[in-house]
Amino acid sequence: MPSARNTTLCYRKLINHLTPGSWEQLVFADSFQEYRMQVPVFDPKKEYPQFAQLIHAVPQAEKLHHRVSAAVIGYLRQLNGIIPDITDNLGLKMLTFDNFHFEIINSASNDKTKHQVAINFISTPLWWIDTVGDYLLLSKPSSPERTFLLKLQPFISIHTCQHGNHNNLG
Amino acid sequence: MERKFFLRQGLTALGAAFVMPLAHSCQKEDTTSPTTTTTTDGSSTTTTGTCTVAPTETEGPFPTHSPSSYVRSDIRDDREGYELSATITIGKVSNSCAALANVIVDIWHCDAAGNYSEYGGTQMQSTNYTSVHFLRGRQVTDANGQVKFTSIFPGWYQGRATHIHVHIFDAAGNSLNITQIAFPEGTGSALLAVSGYSKGMSGYTYNASDSIFKDDTTGVQLATVSGSTSSGFTLAIQLNVA
Repeated sequence: MPSARNTTLCYRKLINHLTPGSWEQLVFADSFQEYRMQVPVFDPKKEYPQFAQLIHAVPQAEKLHHRVSAAVIGYLRQLNGIIPDITDNLGLKMLTFDNFHFEIINSASNDKTKHQVAINFISTPLWWIDTVGDYLLLSKPSSPERTFLLKLQPFISIHTCQHGNHNNLG
Repeated sequence: MERKFFLRQGLTALGAAFVMPLAHSCQKEDTTSPTTTTTTDGSSTTTTGTCTVAPTETEGPFPTHSPSSYVRSDIRDDREGYELSATITIGKVSNSCAALANVIVDIWHCDAAGNYSEYGGTQMQSTNYTSVHFLRGRQVTDANGQVKFTSIFPGWYQGRATHIHVHIFDAAGNSLNITQIAFPEGTGSALLAVSGYSKGMSGYTYNASDSIFKDDTTGVQLATVSGSTSSGFTLAIQLNVA
């Protein structure tokens, strides 16, 4: 048995106006509204309608990522610490999170369809025990004997990884 | 600030251990009929030709509308300092500065050390939910045109006088005015009583030299501040919109 590694995974969830799901559309609508409210701080004369133009002209506008994230925190709490969408090979949502990183990818105050955001969910620590094909064999430090298989797939990455001592694999 | 910084090692961490087809019995899992799975992130690139199992859990929890985390009266979170109770009245210039109800008022200011809540830099980092937006708040004016916040007396940072940012919106969230609140100075002032917390006042930028407040000769942005370090401070100001 190879030595296990202490790992966290990142799931990058993209949301735009076409993303299905009521949770996703609440995040979309409220983050867009908050974006509209926060932009005047950085662009009082409405010179830069596109987010990309704005951060190019006003580097301080990078703070919009943080400022707009306030609109989504309530929705993140509603997930009860469970990373959405990503299931193990039994179809169970096994990944949990405490930490996240919110990003505005694109937006425009006058065009909702340009608004796109990403929520990066950082998993709580996992033991990466082995690799089976394109599946990671993982377990949680709280119950190291209970393993699960997670497929490597688009928008999933390894966020942190370090070798650790895992002496209780059963 | 409760932030956790993670070193990213990215995909290099996968290394040579990545492809290890050692468990033949498990390969059966890979030979089930491929079904295309699309996640709900709205991106076509997440559709894969290989199979992953669809969720098999009970549906839920069901989402409900959740207001911005700015919406609160006590904006202190984990920040420590002398308590400051702020009452801001919004008036309408075109109506003899009469109180304006149902407008949204955002405030934000720095902590005792002079730091704002924000992400540090642009590199990828993760943030815990708690106290992500300390010392930032949002309230809607009542029938008297007032909003109230509980906060701490702000600290100061290089180049600026002590201040509180204010952003006023109409009920639909359209920006009406972005301004700042200044603090009285001089003998007996709250500013000198707090004395920059542990920082002291050496190198402080007073209102007369401040880039924002120096042209406010009539004190439109100057609040009334009273109280003491033992009992806390109260701040009151009326700000008017067009």
